[in-house]
Amino acid sequence: MTAGPSPRGVLVTGATTPVGERLCRSLLADSSIEHVLAVGIEPPEHALPFSHGDRLVYRSVDLSRSRRVRNLLFGVVRDLGIECVVHLSMHRSAAQSGGRVHAQNVDALRSLLELSERHPTIRRFVFRSFAEVYNVSHDLPILVTEDHPLNMGVGAPQWIRDRVEADLTACARMGLSKLEILVLRCAEVLGPGTGSQLFDFLDAPVCLRPAGFNPMMNLLSMADAVHALELATRVKRGTIGVFNVPGKDTLPLAESIRKWGKPQIPTPGMVLTPIYRVRRRLRGHDFSYGMNRRRFHYASVLEGSRAHEVLGYLPEHPIDWPAA
Amino acid sequence: MPFPPAVAWSLARRMLSEEDLERARQVKIADAGHGYDPFGLHRAFVALGLGIASPLYRRYFRVLSYGADKVPADGAAVLACNHSGTVPVDGMMLWVDVVLNTGRVPRPIADHFVPTLPWIGTLFARSGMVGGSRGNAKSLLKAGQVLMIFPEGVPGIGKPFAERYQLQKWRVGHCELAIRHGAPVVPVGIVGAEEQMPQIGRIDIPAFGLPYIPVPATPLPMPVRYHVHYGEPIPVHRDYTPDQADDPEVVLEAAARVKAAVQDLLDRGLEQRGGVFE
Repeated sequence: MTAGPSPRGVLVTGATTPVGERLCRSLLADSSIEHVLAVGIEPPEHALPFSHGDRLVYRSVDLSRSRRVRNLLFGVVRDLGIECVVHLSMHRSAAQSGGRVHAQNVDALRSLLELSERHPTIRRFVFRSFAEVYNVSHDLPILVTEDHPLNMGVGAPQWIRDRVEADLTACARMGLSKLEILVLRCAEVLGPGTGSQLFDFLDAPVCLRPAGFNPMMNLLSMADAVHALELATRVKRGTIGVFNVPGKDTLPLAESIRKWGKPQIPTPGMVLTPIYRVRRRLRGHDFSYGMNRRRFHYASVLEGSRAHEVLGYLPEHPIDWPAA
Repeated sequence: MPFPPAVAWSLARRMLSEEDLERARQVKIADAGHGYDPFGLHRAFVALGLGIASPLYRRYFRVLSYGADKVPADGAAVLACNHSGTVPVDGMMLWVDVVLNTGRVPRPIADHFVPTLPWIGTLFARSGMVGGSRGNAKSLLKAGQVLMIFPEGVPGIGKPFAERYQLQKWRVGHCELAIRHGAPVVPVGIVGAEEQMPQIGRIDIPAFGLPYIPVPATPLPMPVRYHVHYGEPIPVHRDYTPDQADDPEVVLEAAARVKAAVQDLLDRGLEQRGGVFE
């Protein structure tokens, strides 16, 4: 692994998400980066809770509108000499679906990629993808490498389908232009506001998990997610590819519930879908048991040797478990 | 499992001698950070597995082991063994034998349906079993683990009593993996298991995740004596290059060598033993 120079400027979409905020702070700590252009949907007064003089610029842009994306890229992005885009913007709620959600998840990425390819200053595009794009099954390997089958099931919910489509959209453009595209398939980041299904599951007073099953899973801390994204912005020139980003915590589901400090009740799997559907409707929670059924039964752990070899990434920061 | 490792240790302490408990404490696992390896193996459940299986190993089946020192002390290896007995107790006994005599935890490669079995699938995973996908086997060999493979598969368990000690169709995947990932194959012949629970029929209806329902002559395995014979490691990783793992002829030839070695161990083991229960 050889690190390249830091880019002159970095555009971070989804900058108001927890990962986005921390990434902006981290990039700003690198004095060789002249500008960080943070983009979110929120108005500026409610956006980032910190400022950094002229080096941090915030723009409120609806990325699902291609005209606005064009204005952004061929306006302030060009003026600031932004060289790298880190695309984090993705609809986080699994409870919502439809055309607008798809536009944010997939169409926005497509526009950004298309425009970045012919942009005068952008040379690198880092897309934060998700481990949830992978299929989980009893007959598939437990250690998930980048060539693992994707979750293309016809019954998959839009939350999954959009992520798979976005991931493949980015992959399909790799090597077709001067743009260096890196897709980082990150393990689940356990934290509020991250869109984590497991976090919402653990948020319940009592966690009901399928009786008889206790699969291994891998979880990523915010610090390691940000570190991996940052490494991708300054990896040596010419690097492209798909990289798994595993976390430091590899443990069974029951152990994660225990470390989160919640009681757990092993429950027959067949009643979990309706129970969590009711919870979702009555309490407005995001967790869908149907969407997580397979990974609550069968082990699936990201394998990150490629990210280690090429990006120099190794998970270092375990999750701060409340009851550890 | 429905209980944490601390409970597994506590149960194991009641079941095991201090010597066996220490063996379980000393087994090497690739701890991924919380005491589990990425596949779910945990020392506490190795101890619990020994606690459950060692009375069967020592008192019920009175296992005699021959040549366990042929299992490499370090690095990747594939144990290829005959499979029989209507219920796969032979796998459990071989697992115990390797743990007790070598200090290594072999990784049984199970049929795809095993991880779907509630509780059983999880307990087996905690004690080292993995589902039989090529990716799992590859990852484990690359990590220098010992795989336990039964090339006869489920048909071996369900072979008719009249065909005991006659190896069924011998799959070749174990040799392909060994050649590709640089591991020797250690042939293992288990004498005794093939008579433990004669199968007189089967109901071809998948149930409880099992491919069929066996109809045995006895309600439980009989207390036959097990004889576990290890053969000289077959250095397929030196005799062939990794690229040759793609050559079907080479893989067939290597698998035939392993099959012949296992059959030879069985034939000699049968000659040596006095009777089924001796």
